[in-house]
Amino acid sequence: MSTSNRYDVIVIGGGHNGLICAAYLAKAGRKVLVLERRHVLGGAAVTEELYPGFKFSVCSYVVSLFRPHIIRDLELAKHGFDLIPLECSHLPLPDGDSLCRWADAHETRREIARFSARDAEIYPEFGLAMSKLSHFVKAMIDSPAPDPASLNPRELANLLRLGGQLKELGPDLMHLQMRLLTMSAVDFLDLWFESDILKAPMSVSGIIGTFLGVRSPGTAYVLLHHYMGEIDGAFRSWGFSRGGTGQVSMACARAAQSYGAEIRTECSVDRVLLKNASACGVVLENGDEIFAQTVVSGVDPQRTFFGFVGEENLDPEFAAQIRRYKLRGSSAKVNYAVDKLPMFGRTENDLHLRGDIAIAPSIAYLEKAYDQAKYGDFSDRPYLNIVIPSLVDPTVAPPGKHIVSCFVQYAPYKIKEGPEHWPKRSDALGDTVTDTIEEYCPGFRDSILFRQVLTPWDLEQEFGLTEGNIFHGELSQEQLLFQRPAAGWARYRTPISNLWMCGSGTHPGGGIMGAPGELAAKTMLGGGGV
Amino acid sequence: MDGANHEFDAIVVGAGHNGLAAAAMLARSGRKVLVCERRDIVGGLAAREEFHPGFRVPGFHHDSTCVRPRVIEALRLESFGLKRTNPPSIFAPHLSGPGLLLHHDAGAAADEIAAHSDTDAQRYADYRAFIERIAPAVLRLLDEAPPDVLGLNIDFSRLLSTGWSLRKLGRRDMMELLRIAPMCVADWLDEWFACDLLKCTLAGSAIFGTFTGPWSPGNNALLLRHEVLSGGAVFGGPANLIDALRQSAEHFGATIRTGADVSRVRVTDGRVDGVTLSDGEEIDASCVAASCDPKRLFLGLLGRQAVTTKLRLHIESYRMSGTTAKVHLAIKGRLRFACRPDLNVEHARIADSLDDMERAFDAIKYERFSDRPVLDVYVPTVSDPNLAPDGHSVVSIMAHYAPYTLDGGWNDAQRSRLTENVLSILEQYAPGLRDCVVASETLVPPDIEKRYGVAEGQWHHGEHGLDQLIVRPAPECTEYATPIAGLFLCGSGAHPGGGLTCGPGALAADRIIRGA
Repeated sequence: MSTSNRYDVIVIGGGHNGLICAAYLAKAGRKVLVLERRHVLGGAAVTEELYPGFKFSVCSYVVSLFRPHIIRDLELAKHGFDLIPLECSHLPLPDGDSLCRWADAHETRREIARFSARDAEIYPEFGLAMSKLSHFVKAMIDSPAPDPASLNPRELANLLRLGGQLKELGPDLMHLQMRLLTMSAVDFLDLWFESDILKAPMSVSGIIGTFLGVRSPGTAYVLLHHYMGEIDGAFRSWGFSRGGTGQVSMACARAAQSYGAEIRTECSVDRVLLKNASACGVVLENGDEIFAQTVVSGVDPQRTFFGFVGEENLDPEFAAQIRRYKLRGSSAKVNYAVDKLPMFGRTENDLHLRGDIAIAPSIAYLEKAYDQAKYGDFSDRPYLNIVIPSLVDPTVAPPGKHIVSCFVQYAPYKIKEGPEHWPKRSDALGDTVTDTIEEYCPGFRDSILFRQVLTPWDLEQEFGLTEGNIFHGELSQEQLLFQRPAAGWARYRTPISNLWMCGSGTHPGGGIMGAPGELAAKTMLGGGGV
Repeated sequence: MDGANHEFDAIVVGAGHNGLAAAAMLARSGRKVLVCERRDIVGGLAAREEFHPGFRVPGFHHDSTCVRPRVIEALRLESFGLKRTNPPSIFAPHLSGPGLLLHHDAGAAADEIAAHSDTDAQRYADYRAFIERIAPAVLRLLDEAPPDVLGLNIDFSRLLSTGWSLRKLGRRDMMELLRIAPMCVADWLDEWFACDLLKCTLAGSAIFGTFTGPWSPGNNALLLRHEVLSGGAVFGGPANLIDALRQSAEHFGATIRTGADVSRVRVTDGRVDGVTLSDGEEIDASCVAASCDPKRLFLGLLGRQAVTTKLRLHIESYRMSGTTAKVHLAIKGRLRFACRPDLNVEHARIADSLDDMERAFDAIKYERFSDRPVLDVYVPTVSDPNLAPDGHSVVSIMAHYAPYTLDGGWNDAQRSRLTENVLSILEQYAPGLRDCVVASETLVPPDIEKRYGVAEGQWHHGEHGLDQLIVRPAPECTEYATPIAGLFLCGSGAHPGGGLTCGPGALAADRIIRGA
């Protein structure tokens, strides 16, 4: 065994969490190797030129919760991390009218007042309450999950500290926080607003990436994330990564490399190498063995344990916990290259297109879309979240041409025919999305130069996301905090010694946050993992 | 003001099971108590009603298995005629098979389940064992005043002891309880079982009377709640619980007035000083315990100036929307399910799969009622034949789901359509039933509101959402007291919520006795 083939840490998966984990470990002086199966880095945060001149943010398309201290710690700005804030959130309506919420609070209130004067009055109050609550949630996101069953004094002290922070909110906000955890997005918004036209687009942030409807209890909590979307410490909501979402991953990769990490693409791991029930390296698909003191998996829990470790090497009870861990992808992605800007209801200028555009005209529309998915169909009129990044970032498309990137929900992984039949339904899904947009932008169909449809099956097969779940597992209450991905295994460790996890399937979950990667690295460094 | 006006220490509004339990508990502690009931009969949602000459149902409620043992004991209900019996087994009929009789006895149930799936039979034993293990910790939460989760008046020793009762389960069961409580009932049952009939039968307890379907997160907590609360049934049905409660209350000296419709709870300087009846009569008391629902109390019976704006907002946003229709059938002969004709079924649940239950739920989201409702069928004449003339039976059916607000509005044509939906399902499983129907009565949520006085026909006095349990109905109402001195809540709109537990009534009485 040559020394050059021996590492302190091997990171499986070059997604943003894997890269961030690698960067922190390398920065701390460890000899790190990152192995990525695909030819590009970034996992689901990736930019690819699928059509000449068009750089698509293929999967993940906006950045919201990226932890600002990671940007500073890893000097990501130096490595090309650059975000352009979304300027508005636009809701076109079937009757040609629309509601556009702007970064400018005054403008937004004026817009909302066209539908409800009362809602316009309350809107700022709502935002204020939510941002107060988000401080508490941020404390949860920025530290490893608490362990409520531990009798260790340090853990108890930690719980008491969190309890104290909660109590600082005062009874009113505490009550609101508790309701937020358990209510449905619609019920929660009903506490404040009357207008369906305002509530529908607000409620969708509660369902993105989950197999739940806007009326399903437990969805209100995710609304809060909308108010936590901070970029570099300032509340500026969501943003585009200049050059495409892949640039976030590239910045992380360059940072990792600058600290000495080695990164290999097109290097597919077949399994984790075990010796005496302890991880000691990986075997690649080409049969090569690479050894390391520690292995960290950035891929989802089911793929990690059933794909790379093997059920025969797991304790049956732990295997059962991972098996029942719910992934259930519910969304698809359709990307277009177009030669004409779709205007979505307003023609005076294109300012309203510089943020995200939601096809979510009413709560009933969203709920019906969900009902179809429950019984194994994709929605015949889905919720769409559309961005046109080429409008604010000319580097991603040729002049005068645009990228229209659509997040589509619901497209359940488990369609009636069985997920393996998705390739046959892929075009139908793409047509449904085109037809839906055409209703709001007549002529859109004729402007299409290129279309890419990524069904949940494609997300699984191409990007390695089990069941096409973009968050490596449902963000439902029983799969968050100390239960992500399994009770007792929420601190990045696994029952296999020297095998760790650092992906979105660990606390605090999915989205381009970077927190799982960072917290995993810090836990490993602090806990003698490496 | 005449002397008679001063004779009561406390007035209880409403003579439902919680109102009577609160009154009896208060009277037992030596207080002079008056119960004012709007209707001419006592019992509220557990009242015995004649819906057709000679045919009576023993209450709107079907389930009498959750009455708290402590109440039975303290109020000596057994000496006042209450008889406890094994809960009726629940039968799940099937169109192409023998169906499933879920015995109250776990062993016998497992034998029945084995006819469908050996694995499920084994799992059912494990399931029951798990429920047994977690019961003490969950019951602790339900049988005591709600924990002060908002920390308004924090009692650390109680908080620690509640935490400790949870930790005593052991790490594994504690973590499991925390994991499963916020889940949806379908996911949890899917983890246990494969047999659809078994899953549907169990899921019923989690969703009946709620604005949720099997796939709505949070309602697994309601399944656990019901599983741990449920014990022996009241022989003869809910109305017999009322008879015993009434006798007990009167035995301890409480006065019960029917036809006494409280139209106003009077408040002076932030203190309650009595009630006004709809005929103008005024009755004074420095303590009023309201067993009516929170909307009726705070938005109806109290003057606007007595309720702070914040409390009013909390009560207005308290979710309380009826989701159940009730159909009463008077039939010749008895209900005979084709798949098991010899079985004299007292309690049945009809749904073929969790998906079907979910589809039934979908309707109310759009203000429609289910085309194929999920039915909870209770045949009270099986244990008490006196409820119908000889050779006849009463069939009481809860049909899920029917919204309070129906698109286009409720009218007789819609009621008939709903009745028809129910009958056509029953006819499939019990052919010939239609020809045996002598008379029927259909109550949709607005009818339930009108008859029983529960807002929007929500028979749990408020949605059993996780956000409306424990902190129930509003943060201002901590532990049964309200911001108005002397005014207490003692109905299902307070912890531990709806169902025939008598828990809210008894716990509110404790609070009044301790603090008054």
